[in-house]
Amino acid sequence: MTLEQLLAETQPALLQIKQQDLADITAAKDWQSKYRVLMQLGKKLPPVPEKMKQPHLLVKGCESRAWLMHYHDKAQDKHFFVLDSEARIVKGLMAIMLCLVNGMTSAELAKFDLCHKFDQLNLKPYLSQSRGNGLTAMAERIKACCPAK
Amino acid sequence: MPGFDVQQFRQQFAFFQQQPNWVYLDNAATMHKPHAVLDAVTAFYQQHNSNVHRGAHQLSQQATVLFEQARSNIAGYLNAAHPHEVIFTSGATAALNQIAFGLMHTLLKPGDRILLTQLEHHANIVPWQLHCQRFGVIIDVVPLTADHGIDLVAYKKLLALGPKAVSFSHISNVLGHIQPVAQMVALAKAAGAVTVIDGAQGIVYQQPDMQQLDCDFYVFSGHKLYGPTGIGVLYGKTLWLDRLTPIFAGGEMIDTVSFVNTTFNKLPFRLEAGTPNIAGAIGLSAAISWLQKYNTNQVQQHKSLLLKEFYNGLAAIKAIDILSMPVHNAGIVALNVRGEHPSDVAELLNQQQVAVRSGQHCAMPLFSYLAQQGAVRCSFAAYNTLDDVNRCLLALEQAVEILTA
Ligand SMILES: Cc1ncc(COP(=O)(O)O)c(C=O)c1O
Repeated sequence: MTLEQLLAETQPALLQIKQQDLADITAAKDWQSKYRVLMQLGKKLPPVPEKMKQPHLLVKGCESRAWLMHYHDKAQDKHFFVLDSEARIVKGLMAIMLCLVNGMTSAELAKFDLCHKFDQLNLKPYLSQSRGNGLTAMAERIKACCPAK
Repeated sequence: MPGFDVQQFRQQFAFFQQQPNWVYLDNAATMHKPHAVLDAVTAFYQQHNSNVHRGAHQLSQQATVLFEQARSNIAGYLNAAHPHEVIFTSGATAALNQIAFGLMHTLLKPGDRILLTQLEHHANIVPWQLHCQRFGVIIDVVPLTADHGIDLVAYKKLLALGPKAVSFSHISNVLGHIQPVAQMVALAKAAGAVTVIDGAQGIVYQQPDMQQLDCDFYVFSGHKLYGPTGIGVLYGKTLWLDRLTPIFAGGEMIDTVSFVNTTFNKLPFRLEAGTPNIAGAIGLSAAISWLQKYNTNQVQQHKSLLLKEFYNGLAAIKAIDILSMPVHNAGIVALNVRGEHPSDVAELLNQQQVAVRSGQHCAMPLFSYLAQQGAVRCSFAAYNTLDDVNRCLLALEQAVEILTA
């Protein structure tokens, strides 16, 4: 599998998460339903083949291992991402993060306030420093994908 | 003697009144503090606060008396031969660093060997590694048996290589298994090795008798024994403490200083540079005095009962893999939900206000040996109840149900 193939499979999944599942998460009446949805999200993303999980793609600061791949379409100035994680809840949360930024231009990405967005989705607690789930590290990694001016 | 009354015991912890909805099963990470400890720390700051060993005034003398009484009390608890055999450190980690660093300059020479075990906490691996690499000392590692105990046959073989020092934990912080420390110390001594015991978990399980156990060093942290954070004990036999090069230098630990030379103070001050954690020492001493009001056997029986109920309950939940053995277990159970990442399980327990730890618990070499990516660790203390056990089991069932849906 190539990065192009992975990207091609990941993009529709992220779009679907953004258009359908986000609403389900916000509407979840209890924690059980919220987590049931969260765990389904990760399953929608194609798994990254073991061979492609190179050490430099690892997002540090996670209790579970997570990998982030980034592709910058320079012609259109659009950023695309692929992700995988050993842990399902973290993968679901990271998928939410990615669906929000996927396809953004460099300027949009630089401006984007993930914290604020997570707050709106009632997911802010997951971004706190004290949690070893790596969400904060992932957010920093995404931001770092902006090309330096 | 009346039996152990867990409700009476638990009532002494303000934490459980403040947080009545939480089931706290992360005791191997840190324990809660009874009023006796909180009161002792507050009383010191309110009534006696002064620096020790150095003031010209009476207040300082009083603080010194309290601080040294704490040392004597702890030394008495450990049955140390002398109070100066108790060195105050910031915790088990600091104590192990002091020992590894201190022996490197005096006992250990390039080409020498030391012996550790496969299940050590990073605090009992990395300090050794750091100094061994620099000094050219070789580290050997005792493997485990099929039931994750220390392989004593292999241990004896490795002792035959003539290690100068052996360092191992009293109780594994991941598996909860109680190691045969008395036997291991005796074997090491027969082989002529200096013996170091990481008692960070062991100290909660039983009152260790230093003269009987006859180890050269035993270390632990106050916060895992109902005491404050930031205080710990490095116990050592006088002979060996005298041979440690101080890792920290500064005030209080010196005799004379000039820019040409410095001569060191005597024990225990030689190894306690700077202002010590006075309130911490007093708090830890209070924890020990308080704990002695309870019968250790009864406390252990209560914890065994919790453990038995927990194992029984686990057997009824599908897809649970247990890494810890129920026998010779001090109250720690490492487990996994088959095929699931431990952090997912722990997060689902967290949602149900059951506090556990997940991951590799600062014991990566153990997990690579077990070929597991980590584990969920439920660790029980004397203040836990059967209700806690049941709530944890229900929460696990719920987690399994959500994960396998
Ligand atoms: C077996 C063992 N050794 C050493 C330590 C380190 O203790 P501390 O972090 O209090 O210094 C711990 C704490 O987790 C432990 O369980």
